[in-house]
Amino acid sequence: MKPLLEVQELSFKYSGDLIFDKVSLDIKPGEVFCLLGPNGCGKTTLLDCILGWLKPCSGRIMLDGADITDMPARRVAHHLAYVPQIHEKTFPYLVKDIVLMGRASYLGTFEAPSDEDVMIAERALEMVGMGSFKERPYTQLSGGEGQLVMVARALAQHTPMIIMDEPTAHLDYHHELTILETIVKLVRDSGLSVLMATHNPNHGFHLQKSGVNVRVAMLKNKRMIHVGSTAEVLSEYKLGELYDILVRIVDCVLEDGGILKQVVPVSTITRS
Amino acid sequence: MLPSSFTGGGAAKTRKHGGNNSRLEVGTTKRSLVPIFILAPFLVILFSLSIGRYPIDASSVVQVLWCKLTLQPCPVDEIYQTVVWDIRLPRAVLGAMVGGCLAISGASFQGLFRNPLVNAGLLGVSSGAGFGASVAIVMFDNVLITYLLAFSCGMLAVVLSYLIARVYKATPTIMLVLGGVIVSSVFSALISLLKYLADPTDQLPAIVFWLMGSLANARFNDILIAGVPMLIGISGLLLLRWRINVLSMGDREAHTLGINTTLNKGIVIACASLATAGAVCVSGIIGWVGLVMPHIGRMLVGNDNKVLIPVSLSLGAVFLVIVDDVSRILTGGEIPLGILTALIGGPFFVYLLKKTKGGGW
Repeated sequence: MKPLLEVQELSFKYSGDLIFDKVSLDIKPGEVFCLLGPNGCGKTTLLDCILGWLKPCSGRIMLDGADITDMPARRVAHHLAYVPQIHEKTFPYLVKDIVLMGRASYLGTFEAPSDEDVMIAERALEMVGMGSFKERPYTQLSGGEGQLVMVARALAQHTPMIIMDEPTAHLDYHHELTILETIVKLVRDSGLSVLMATHNPNHGFHLQKSGVNVRVAMLKNKRMIHVGSTAEVLSEYKLGELYDILVRIVDCVLEDGGILKQVVPVSTITRS
Repeated sequence: MLPSSFTGGGAAKTRKHGGNNSRLEVGTTKRSLVPIFILAPFLVILFSLSIGRYPIDASSVVQVLWCKLTLQPCPVDEIYQTVVWDIRLPRAVLGAMVGGCLAISGASFQGLFRNPLVNAGLLGVSSGAGFGASVAIVMFDNVLITYLLAFSCGMLAVVLSYLIARVYKATPTIMLVLGGVIVSSVFSALISLLKYLADPTDQLPAIVFWLMGSLANARFNDILIAGVPMLIGISGLLLLRWRINVLSMGDREAHTLGINTTLNKGIVIACASLATAGAVCVSGIIGWVGLVMPHIGRMLVGNDNKVLIPVSLSLGAVFLVIVDDVSRILTGGEIPLGILTALIGGPFFVYLLKKTKGGGW
């Protein structure tokens, strides 16, 4: 299948310092791509390059076969939607107003959203199960609810792919699972692709268990060190290598007899 | 007029937050407010024509207006015609325009800079204009030159702030704010220098009076001169108003939502600055309107800039015309507007805060 997104040998320098070097990846329709890596390895920077927000110093990013270098923000926004890691709330906009902003790339400079856009936004809210919150100021939502609203905004953008930067950071177990289940639903029902940076390798196992196509990539020391299926990449050895820790992977037998693998971080190790 | 429009808005707000009512109802409640916000400035202008130190009854006012507009000979006393048509009308119209410009620019900047505490002068337009006016007062003593210098120095200040922010190639919001702070303080220092050098018998009071804001010298000419940038600025902001919502999500998010942030921010800054510089060059520096009228708007109709921007325009216009009326009536000596806006607006704002519980902040 033709990839939605291709990143070819991408390098990025921030005031002279190489952040990552010759990173390549591709994302196919209907798959979840989990990007793992220690703090500060450049995950967010890589996502920013893909979103066209930062300019890489070499390499190419192709969306549906077209280079994004000179692509206007509006066209990139028709291919990729973005769910930020931290959304800084300023004004108490209503939830529906926030989701409506997902329609910006379809509107002319002087245009305001039409009734149809309002319907699309409301449908997006329903899809993440937040339909009843539309008249609430979004500043009053909890972290998990706020994140679902951000997902709804990305859905309203009607893109084949959503980029999420640590979508479950700061969330409790319940909301973390809600976000993962929402991702599964979107990938399965709507055929969306998701590229997500995450600090929790268990997300890969969980998504795999739910039956969606998952690939995992590991970014470390400026390089993409491993890319592949969960079985290939999420091994005790490779996770240990990625985070410099001792790792055990255990099988949890679930009530239905299925097995959910879980990563157990044991201790740090110092490599000489 | 004013109280009724405010209670109307308050009712809409409480109902909106009631939660379970249908969207249609909220929509109609909001929509029924539209004519109130459009008509309010005109009614206040009309009302202020009949009040003042020289009372004129409403029927004469209407008669004068009717004759002047239809170009018929007027049966009303000549002096009434002068007072209504040549003195009070341009003053009220200009007051409405200035108040509207300050409020709409303030609302736009609050959205753009994602900060509810900024006003239209953030990028230095007010201090720039103050400097221009002070130079004109000290060196030329000509009203037209004062306007021109105030306007161009106000715009120059904004351009300088923008250029300072461009050191990073892009224009990050925080750098714009920093640029504005630098430029404002440089121009404030230059104003102080001019005050220090000015002739203390006539120039210094003129500078001080200008800096506190006044509409006392408003004539139709002023509306024609300053009206052009004000109308361009207002129209631009009204057209872009929904985009300001998206820009208020921050540069990165606005970009990923599909907006050219540099271009859109540039246009909003240009429009807000044109409107403010146009206003300030004829009225002097009038504080408070640009900061607080948008907040009153937020309490009444919420934070969606699609609604808030036009509502701020209306509120600013109404507020400044009323404040100017008070300034005309209270004393023969005309209290400067910059003083009155805060004295009247402050307590009123506190009252509204209490009444609406701040509107979701």
